[in-house]
Amino acid sequence: MNRSLIILFSALVLATAVFAGSYFVSQRASVMCRTASADDLSWLREEFHLNDADMARVRQLHESYMPQCAEMCAKIAVKKSELQAALNDSTNVTAAAKTKLIELGELRAQCQAQMLQHFITVSQAMPPEQGRRYLAEMKRLTLGFHEEIEQSMSPAAGHEQQH
Amino acid sequence: MKGNMNFNDTKLSALLRESRVSPSLLPRFQQNVWRRIENAEAPAKSKSWIDSLVALILRPKFAFATVAVLMLAGILIGTHEGSQIARQDAQTRYLAAVAPSSLR
Repeated sequence: MNRSLIILFSALVLATAVFAGSYFVSQRASVMCRTASADDLSWLREEFHLNDADMARVRQLHESYMPQCAEMCAKIAVKKSELQAALNDSTNVTAAAKTKLIELGELRAQCQAQMLQHFITVSQAMPPEQGRRYLAEMKRLTLGFHEEIEQSMSPAAGHEQQH
Repeated sequence: MKGNMNFNDTKLSALLRESRVSPSLLPRFQQNVWRRIENAEAPAKSKSWIDSLVALILRPKFAFATVAVLMLAGILIGTHEGSQIARQDAQTRYLAAVAPSSLR
């Protein structure tokens, strides 16, 4: 009985090791194989089943958008550092700090509008059904985060009762 | 001459029979013999389920088949999981390129 239990336990340990070993090795191999040849646009090709012609159009749009995006990011970074400096100078939210906050908000809004316009342009370069799906997914991924925060802070979520 | 020899053989055989000491049997010898015969003929005592399982595990065919099934399951699930992780990574990479995290 005792010997049988030892054999049974050893078999279970061995079985777990065999399964876990093959699982982790194949998982790592799968991730490595798929990410080795991937670039920024690989997700689009795979997720929205784009062919080479679609990908060429999307790549062109992507490459022309990137400098605009980088320029806007640089402007936002400068404005953030200005806001930080305005906040560091005093213990109150000064008029200067308020102005910087408004300017930063405007820059972010411009950047978001530019980003949404890019998504719309890219979606039009895709087959219609995939384009609709892409646009909906990008709106969810980029704007959905704010909606979640706003919903969690709304009176219906009990936020006002905390004050 | 030959008749003399036969007579001697018979005599020798009788002497040998007399000289052989037959050991006395153990008490209840016959009863014990019958009991052992009955036990040997009786069906084998049933094993516990653990013993049966261990006997199955130790069969080479079963062991190899189990290892093969576990490896195959591990490879299939691992590959599927890996592709999901890679897909998620690719999505994150695209989002990082087109939508800076400060805007999300």
